[in-house]
Amino acid sequence: MTGIETRLADVDQALADSAPLPRSNGELVFDEPWQGRALGMAVVALEEAGVPWAEFSRQLGAAVRRHGYDRAEPAADAYYAAWLDALEETLRRAGVDMP
Amino acid sequence: MSDHHHDHDDGHHHPRPRSELELRAEALEALLVEKGLVSTDAIDAVVELYESDIGPQNGARVVARAWADPAYKERLLANGTAAIAELGYGGDQGETMVVVENTPGVHNVIVCTLCSCYPWPVLGLPPTWYKSAPYRARVVAEPRAVLREFGLELAPETEIRVWDSTAEVRYLVLPERPPGTDEWSEDELVSLVSRDSMIGTAIAVAPEPTPVA
Repeated sequence: MTGIETRLADVDQALADSAPLPRSNGELVFDEPWQGRALGMAVVALEEAGVPWAEFSRQLGAAVRRHGYDRAEPAADAYYAAWLDALEETLRRAGVDMP
Repeated sequence: MSDHHHDHDDGHHHPRPRSELELRAEALEALLVEKGLVSTDAIDAVVELYESDIGPQNGARVVARAWADPAYKERLLANGTAAIAELGYGGDQGETMVVVENTPGVHNVIVCTLCSCYPWPVLGLPPTWYKSAPYRARVVAEPRAVLREFGLELAPETEIRVWDSTAEVRYLVLPERPPGTDEWSEDELVSLVSRDSMIGTAIAVAPEPTPVA
């Protein structure tokens, strides 16, 4: 079984340099349930589309800068707003027809 | 004796419109489902796997502290929001936390009948069944039967109180401390507190003592 821990570890590693998942005391932080769902959505969609996390990581890095996300004060709200941008852009570049 | 304390004001579940981001995330999910790139079930499965990674530990810490420290328990039951904040947990959405205590004659269970209000800061992501229509409707109408399906058989004389969460008020169940744990430290007690025991669909149980070989 591909454990979610393994998959999350991969995600953590891929995002370490661009924009690490907001965590507190090691635990994932979400301000609202949709943010947790957005993380799950990316895990499933990127896997299905065969897009490497490194590509998503690049997009996410650019998106968090646009959203003025501050790594020193990780606010899940701003982070997952950027996350949606990055997911859309990554899929668009992978050839998925996005509006 | 009442089997049901229905405690919400209609219309208070959504005092604010859902955020633009939340709507956008839902729209994106719908689009990706339509394109066959994701299925709701697949996302549920991922979320379910990591929902145990966040949150419940916070609630478990609150419960273990209340078991170990009677003065803390008193504060917790008097003002849940403040006592939970003492341990560094709290929402930034301003909701009030109310802790309801299980006792030998009373069992509490929480639900959100209208949507999926949930004590986030202490329990993390809600399990999928918590948001399901059958749970939301049936736990109010026939709590005893629903709890039985969760494997929890309560004595017929036990009163069941069902608490309906709202956006303003989130409930957390303080389960009974399992017998035979008097010598346990707070850290050890944490391990006995499951997410479901704080929702009320389970109780906290201590493992059977292992026989000395």
